[in-house]
Amino acid sequence: MADLFEDYRLGPGWDEMFGEASMPRASYEALHATLQPLSSAELGVRADVLARAFLDQGITFALKGVERPFPLDIVPRIIAADEWRTVEAGVGQRIRALEAFLADVYGAAQVLADGVVPRKVVVTSAHFHREAAGITPHNGVRIHVAGVDLIRDEQGTFRVLEDNVRVPSGVSYVMENRRAMAHVLPEVFASTRVQPVDSYPAQLLRALRAAAPVGVSEPTVVVLTPGVFNSAYFEHALLAREMGVELVEGRDLICVGNEVAMRTTAGEQRVDVIYRRIDDEFLDPVHFRADSVVGCAGLLNAARAGRVTIANAVGNGVADDKLLYTYVPDLIRYYLDEEPILPNVETYRLDDDADVLAHVLDRLDELVIKPVDGSGGAGIVIGSQATDQELARLRERVEKDPRGWIAQREVALSMVPTLVGNRLRARHVDLRPFAVNDGEKVWVLPGGLTRVALPEGALVVNSSQGGGSKDTWVLTDGLTDPAVLEEALDPPVTVAPASQGPDPGPDLGPVSAQQQQQQQAARSTPC
Amino acid sequence: MVQSWRLRVQHKTGFTYAGKVSSSYNEARMSPRNEPHQAVLDARVEVWPPARTYKYEDYWGTAVTAFDVHAAHEALQVTATATVETLPAGDRLTGDGASWADLAAPESVDRWHELLLPTPRTALDEELTELAESIKSAHATPQAFAMAVSERVRAEVEYQPGATGVQTDAVHAWRQRKGVCQDISHLVVGLLRAVGMPARYVSGYLHPSSSAAVGETVVGQSHAWPEWWAGRWMAFDATNGIPVGEQHVVVGRGREYGDVPPLKGVYSGPENTGQGVEVAITRLR
Repeated sequence: MADLFEDYRLGPGWDEMFGEASMPRASYEALHATLQPLSSAELGVRADVLARAFLDQGITFALKGVERPFPLDIVPRIIAADEWRTVEAGVGQRIRALEAFLADVYGAAQVLADGVVPRKVVVTSAHFHREAAGITPHNGVRIHVAGVDLIRDEQGTFRVLEDNVRVPSGVSYVMENRRAMAHVLPEVFASTRVQPVDSYPAQLLRALRAAAPVGVSEPTVVVLTPGVFNSAYFEHALLAREMGVELVEGRDLICVGNEVAMRTTAGEQRVDVIYRRIDDEFLDPVHFRADSVVGCAGLLNAARAGRVTIANAVGNGVADDKLLYTYVPDLIRYYLDEEPILPNVETYRLDDDADVLAHVLDRLDELVIKPVDGSGGAGIVIGSQATDQELARLRERVEKDPRGWIAQREVALSMVPTLVGNRLRARHVDLRPFAVNDGEKVWVLPGGLTRVALPEGALVVNSSQGGGSKDTWVLTDGLTDPAVLEEALDPPVTVAPASQGPDPGPDLGPVSAQQQQQQQAARSTPC
Repeated sequence: MVQSWRLRVQHKTGFTYAGKVSSSYNEARMSPRNEPHQAVLDARVEVWPPARTYKYEDYWGTAVTAFDVHAAHEALQVTATATVETLPAGDRLTGDGASWADLAAPESVDRWHELLLPTPRTALDEELTELAESIKSAHATPQAFAMAVSERVRAEVEYQPGATGVQTDAVHAWRQRKGVCQDISHLVVGLLRAVGMPARYVSGYLHPSSSAAVGETVVGQSHAWPEWWAGRWMAFDATNGIPVGEQHVVVGRGREYGDVPPLKGVYSGPENTGQGVEVAITRLR
C-alpha cells in the first residue's frame, strides 16, 4: 500500500516536519510514526469524518461576504516546547510594548514628543480615535485580547507579520479544531504531550473580570455581538457560552447616566465589562457613526467615567496600523528597554524617503504591497503573482498615497504536510497565537490558529480561493511516555466505509508561490 | 493697569420635535476654560428636561458636558452660562514671529502635523491653493501672509447669515462668496495650511460692541475665528477684521468645526422640527 509520504517533496519554505527528506524533526516523530503506517484510504476516512464534523456544526468563515467551510486539515502543526517559549515571550513582549504605546498616545504622547514615532504616523492613522483620549482603564489594560500574526521564514525563524489588537477573531477554531482532532487522531494525542487549549475561555473571563471598574467585586461580563449575520457570530456565541456570560446585541443594552445595563426577562441588570466584537466605528453613535444600529449610545462616556470597561479598548487600531508596525521594534526598545524577541518581516515605509519609494516602485513585481489599514488580507498585492496591468494600477495608487501602503519582502512561508487528495503535500502555513492580558501578565494560549494555503481545483490564482486550518500543538517538555503510546494503539474513531473517502480532486501540480497569495487571502477571514 | 472686561455669556440652544422623544444623548461644547487670555469665574450647563451631566476634557482640551435624557420630551433645551474675564489682544496679533524656514523645519512640521492637514471642511480646490501660493509670494513673513489671507477672505466673502450651514465646506463658501464666521474661518485655516502654516479653528463667543456699556445685555453670537502658528499662536477675527481681544471668549479649538461643535448628539424619536439658538452677552465690568 502506498505510503502517505510517498513523493512528499520539500517545498520552497522551511518544512516544519522534515529537516531533510524522510527525516522528521524530533517534535514530529510521534506524529510521523503514527501517520506513516496508515494507508491513504484510512487517513482519508478520518479526514472525511473531520470534514463532516465541521460541516455539521456549521463552522465556516466569510470570505468576501461569502460563507465558506473552513476545512480542518488532518495533519496537525506541531511546535516544540522551546520554540514555543520564544513565541510566548515574543508575543508577550510585543503586547506590553503596544499597551505602553496606547496609554501614551491617548495620554501624554511622550513617544511623539521624543520623536520615536513621527507624529504624522499617529495623526494620519484612520484608527487613531481622538474620542478615546482620556479614557483610562483602571488596570491599565487596553489589549485584553490580541492576535499576533506570525510566520516562519526560510530559516525557520518566527517573524511578526502583523498585530491585531482591535477585535481579533479565530480563537473558536482553535478550540473546535482541538475537539475534532481528539476524536480523529486520539492515538497521537495519547503519545504526544500536547498542551491543552480549553482553558482559553476561563483565562479570558479572568482577564475581563480583572478589568472591571473600581469597586465592583462581582462584575457582570457580557459579550457584545453585531448579531447572527456577522461572520464570527459562531465564535461570539461559543465564547459567551463557555464563559457562562450573556451574549447581547446593542439593542439589549441601555446606558443611562453612564451606567450600562442589559435588558433581560427579569428586568434590567447592570453590566460592568463588555467584551465587544463590534468595530469602534459602530460601537457608540454619539461619538462614531450616528447611523449605527448595532452599538449602544453612551458607552464611550460610560467608559470614560470609569463605570464600564470596554474590551478591547476603543482606539486600539492606531497600534496595529501597518505603518506603525514598522516602528514596533523601536517601541519595544523605547518602552521596555529590551531587544525584540520576534523580528518583523523586512518592511519598507514608502512615505518618508523618495529614494525608498522609487526603489520599491521599481521592484513591485518582487515585493508584497499592503494597504496600511486594510483589514486582514484585503488589498494585498503579491508582486510576483500580479499581472502587468495590476502592477501598473498598484503603482498609480501607491504614488498617489504612499502613506497608505507598506512593502515587504516576499517570504516563502514555512510548510507543513497537508492532506491533498490522498497524499501528503507540503503547504504553506502561518500562525495566529492569541494573547490575553489580565493586567498582571500576558498569557498566550499554547497553540493558536494555523492557517494553511489549500488550493482547490485549478491553478487559477485569485483571492477568492480559500484556505484551511490546522490544529496547532504545542508540546510540553519531557519525553513521550511509551506506556501511553501502546495503550493508544487501539483502533480509533468510528469510520465510514472507505468508499466515502474524500474525492482526490484534480492534480494540483507543483506547489509554487501562488500559495502565499492563498494564504494572504485567507488572512482576511477570521480577522 | 490691564483693561480686562468681565463678560457674562448665556448660550441657549433649543430643539423641538414632532412628537415624543424617548431618549437623547448629547455633548455640549459651550463652556470656556481658563487660559492665558481669559479667566473663567463660573461656567455651567443646564439641561431641560433635567438630566445629570458629566464633564470631561476632550482630546483638544475643550470642556465637554455630556448628558442623556430619558424622560419623554417634545423639546430639549440646553443653557450654558459662563462668567469670564477677557483681555485685550496684546501679543496675539503683532510681533515678528517665525520665518518660513522655521515653519518648514522638520521639527516644526512634525510638532504641528495635525494642524497642517486638510480636513473635510477646510480642504481646498486648485483655485484656492493657487490663491494661497500667490498671497504667500507677496509677503515676506508668515505673520504678514496670514494677515493678508484674513483680509483677502474678509474682502471677498460677504458675511451673510443663512447662506451656509454647519456642514458647508470652504470651497463651497468661496464659490458663492457668501458665508458666516465658520466659513470664513475654515477658508483662512485652509489657505494657511495649504502653504505649510499650522492653523486651527477656534469656537467661542463675541460681544458685538467694542464700546460695550457695563450692565447692558445684548444679543451676542456664537463665533469662530482662526489662529495660526508663527513662532507662537496668533489670532485674528477674520470675519470682523478686528483683533481677538476683550470682546472674544474662547470655548475650544480644533482642526475645524467638526472638532468643536457646540452641541451634538443622537436621539430616538420623531423628526426635529425646529432649533433655536440665542446668545446673550452682558459686560459686567
